[in-house]
Amino acid sequence: MARIGVFVCHCGENISATVDCGKVAETIGNLKHVAYSTEYKYMCSDPGQTLIKDAIKEHNLTGVVVSACSPRMHEPTFRKACAEGGLNPFLCEMANLREHCSWVHEKNELTTEKAIDIVRTQVEKVKLNSALQPIKVPVTKTAMVIGGGIAGIQSALDIANTGHKVIMIERSPSIGGHMSQLSETFPTLDCSQCILTPRMVEVAQHPNITLYTYAEVESVEGFIGNFKVKVRKKAKSLDEKACTGCGLCTTKCPQKKIPNEFEQGMGMRPAIYVPFPQAVPNRPVIDRENCTYYIKGKCKICEIVCPTKAIRFDQPDEILELEIGAIVVATGFDIKHADFFPEYGHGRYKDIIDGLQFERLASASGPTAGVIKRPSDGEIPKNIVFIACAGSRDPAKGIAYCSKICCMYTAKHAMLYKHKVHEGKAHVFYMDIRSGGKNYDEFVRRAIEEDHVNYIRGRVSTVFERDGKLIVKGVDTLLGAQQVEIVADMVVLATAGVASSGAEDLAQKLHVSYDSHKFFAEAHPKLKPVETNTAGIFLAGACQNPKDIPDAVSQASGAAVKVAALFSQSELTREPLVAIVNRTSPPTYSTCVGCFMCQSVCPYQAIEREEFKARDGKVVKTVAKINEGLCQGCGTCVALCRSKSIDLLGYSNTQVYAEVVALLNEY
Amino acid sequence: MDNLILRAKELLENKTVQVVIGYEAGPTGVVRPAFISDPANADSLIYDERCVQNLAVYLTKPEVKHLGRIAIVSSLPVMRSIMMLISEQQISYDEIVVLGISADGVLLDIADLSVMQGYIDKSDLSNPVKYKELLAELKKLTPAEKFEYWQKELSKCIKCYACRQACPMCYCTRCTVEVNQPQWISVQSNAHGNMEWHILRAMHLAGRCISCGECGRACPVGIPCHLLTMHLTDQVYNYFKVYAGTSEKMNSVMSTYEPNDKESFIV
Ligand SMILES: Cc1cc2nc3c(=O)[nH]c(=O)nc-3n(C[C@H](O)[C@H](O)[C@H](O)COP(=O)(O)OP(=O)(O)OC[C@H]3O[C@@H](n4cnc5c(N)ncnc54)[C@H](O)[C@@H]3O)c2cc1C
Ligand code: SF4
Ligand code: SF4
Ligand code: SF4
Ligand code: SF4
Ligand code: SF4
Repeated sequence: MARIGVFVCHCGENISATVDCGKVAETIGNLKHVAYSTEYKYMCSDPGQTLIKDAIKEHNLTGVVVSACSPRMHEPTFRKACAEGGLNPFLCEMANLREHCSWVHEKNELTTEKAIDIVRTQVEKVKLNSALQPIKVPVTKTAMVIGGGIAGIQSALDIANTGHKVIMIERSPSIGGHMSQLSETFPTLDCSQCILTPRMVEVAQHPNITLYTYAEVESVEGFIGNFKVKVRKKAKSLDEKACTGCGLCTTKCPQKKIPNEFEQGMGMRPAIYVPFPQAVPNRPVIDRENCTYYIKGKCKICEIVCPTKAIRFDQPDEILELEIGAIVVATGFDIKHADFFPEYGHGRYKDIIDGLQFERLASASGPTAGVIKRPSDGEIPKNIVFIACAGSRDPAKGIAYCSKICCMYTAKHAMLYKHKVHEGKAHVFYMDIRSGGKNYDEFVRRAIEEDHVNYIRGRVSTVFERDGKLIVKGVDTLLGAQQVEIVADMVVLATAGVASSGAEDLAQKLHVSYDSHKFFAEAHPKLKPVETNTAGIFLAGACQNPKDIPDAVSQASGAAVKVAALFSQSELTREPLVAIVNRTSPPTYSTCVGCFMCQSVCPYQAIEREEFKARDGKVVKTVAKINEGLCQGCGTCVALCRSKSIDLLGYSNTQVYAEVVALLNEY
Repeated sequence: MDNLILRAKELLENKTVQVVIGYEAGPTGVVRPAFISDPANADSLIYDERCVQNLAVYLTKPEVKHLGRIAIVSSLPVMRSIMMLISEQQISYDEIVVLGISADGVLLDIADLSVMQGYIDKSDLSNPVKYKELLAELKKLTPAEKFEYWQKELSKCIKCYACRQACPMCYCTRCTVEVNQPQWISVQSNAHGNMEWHILRAMHLAGRCISCGECGRACPVGIPCHLLTMHLTDQVYNYFKVYAGTSEKMNSVMSTYEPNDKESFIV
């Protein structure tokens, strides 16, 4: 016979201020099968837990209901206390009197009545609980880092340095990400390439890191500790082992007029190319869409000039099947381009550029060798306007968020311009200056005070061309919304940072959530900022939201620690609150009819097929089976199955039913 | 109908199938399903406007499956039921031969699954006209009037489950109503329990009902329970632009999610 113990917590005054805890304990104590019922100020405190442990022994309890706060907070605490008291931890339930009752109601009798009702449901439920055992699953100690920007690089190196294997997947021909395109970096103005390239080389040389560039994730199956990932290694049309990276092919390729992505379209590249001189790996790829041979069937000049005969025109894509224990997503971000702005000419005016283009102009390795020349005629602009918040914080454009990095890089751009064009004038239109961060505000002040950048607080309504000049019209809100008009030679838009292309597709392959802007979603905005809602998949860098290098790097190290912690165990322990499909005796084997709708509805791909065979090996029935390593206990399949063949351990149909019936019945 | 009889004989004689499921007239002239395994008996097969029962319901029955390969006389609703059963992995096309019959009663040459697919593709898959009219009438009622209407209709239900037995998509070996741990649906025939049963049945057929009307025809007390499932057929089409039983590979709308699904029904 059930002997249930009930422990009503005051939570200081959080519960007792509106709920009469004494009355709850007393009323519940009179219920059938309740062997012990008491109240206490703080159940989660040491004495509170001891109360539970002692009562289990003293009253020979078969189940415990702690009537306190949300199980999200203290369920582990009380389960552990029960285990220490000698009771299976899954025979402990929590009745949420705080979030579900005391916090949302006023002090009166009805509130206490409701508290009693909540506890009653849990008493009825716990009577039907069964002792469950935790599930153990093995861990494959190889991590995958998707995306080779600075965040991915940092994460990969940190994981590799703990002694674990890392596989890095980068979809472009080189790692480095956006940081490789930057000229100098705020707030120190050190050269981006100089601090980045040593890290890139370290990745390439690290014995624990395997790097696949020009590769993308094809599919992901499995679960924490046991992912099975298929990766498509796109054909580079090159034997990477034979190639010495001499670069002869890239100089001889007759196709030279392809807009260079790395230079943001401000330079040209051949069809066989290395994206930038410090690329890792420093091996070319053939861009098949633009290669004369693939278009016209004739050319092969690269093949002829290659001294080691490394070109492979018929190379197919390769699919790698990898066993992975944890995944770090570090696919970064993209920015909007000038064509997103009808008010600034839809990208029609050559001298309205975006921030990344400015980075390339300011970069010593860029198309102008670091001289600030405007794209239209190569003149050095004498008057330059920077427009911050281009697209960001603009609900009308569908981007309500702040892109976070633009205030800082705009100050940097204005500064770099002034350092290079001493006699030039730099103007910045801004909404607010957001420069929180170590040495960040000092950096902006320097731009204003030492480099005399003209900061104007207000939005720009329109930019148009007149007599070869760009007319920037805006208001100065600090001068009582006075109209300002600046005649500029060049305009730089600090365009909004947006999710990287393909982010949504990847999120769906990984089964992790993303927000309405297609940025990857963290499991909890405060307490789990690097975890996703899928166990074993972590986030690093700007794939979560636009962020600068220090933030991206710290988060990357955070993600690496999560992976290392996971890999420090040989087995994972999981809560046994999973679904099961019933089994009956032959010839039915299960009431499951094998419609497999549960399989398509399961958000975690946890449902497999099980075949029952006769002696002659003939399959007589195929039914659903839950992989307990994968199942997250969400219960979706339970609700969907028409024949009610699935049940959720710990939340079984009979348990839930008993809770509902308890509410409907008088006591 | 000579063509149908000839074809049935041929299939039985050359042992392509072991049984032909079709219609015949009983001694009193009432049309009933026929299970013919002897070619000599094939002459009793008929097909006319009285042959409305959805024969696909037999395809999932173990005692019928046991007979061997089956040829089945199939009007459009039967073909759609077959598609549905294939997509829900209850039967495979190899186990059957479809003796398709067009809307004007002509024997079709359904050589394989793709021919059947083609025939379904060019057919009107919305609810049959007579039911559409009834549904339109019901739509005119206020919610309170609708509730009253169904209360009254459903109060007649004797919970014989003939509607369920007649429906090809109700193939569960154990129906929810037979679950008594816990007893989700009350056993008694009372206002509350009847409503529970019919809401449950309708929800189980949402996105799966192929609008044959068989459930309503089977009901001994004349409850138009097919209008509930047919209404859901309309709803599912409005939201997801799919009709049930249109492809062997179709995923059930209720168990799949597409990123561009309408979400306007979420309140
Ligand atoms: C104009 C501008 C100036 C800036 N200046 C500064 C500065 O001065 N100081 C500073 O701290 N920060 C600056 N930043 C911010 C800085 O660029 C970012 O913080 C940093 O690049 C974020 O790194 P990441 O690795 O998260 O993303 P990214 O740099 O975007 O790298 C992501 C990588 O993932 C790869 N990838 C994407 N999708 C996939 C996929 N599906 N599969 C495989 N690989 C994929 C990409 O090819 C890329 O290599 C600036 C940004 C801009 C736009
Ligand atoms: S939904 Fe139910 S009946 Fe269908 S396969 Fe899954 S468990 Fe079996
Ligand atoms: S409970 Fe959720 S996660 Fe588990 S098998 Fe069912 S649908 Fe999948
Ligand atoms: S009503 Fe539902 S559970 Fe019952 S047989 Fe039909 S589909 Fe299956
Ligand atoms: S009309 Fe009735 S019998 Fe026909 S498929 Fe729909 S629910 Fe089943
Ligand atoms: S056939 Fe009619 S009476 Fe029988 S259960 Fe169905 S609705 Fe009720």
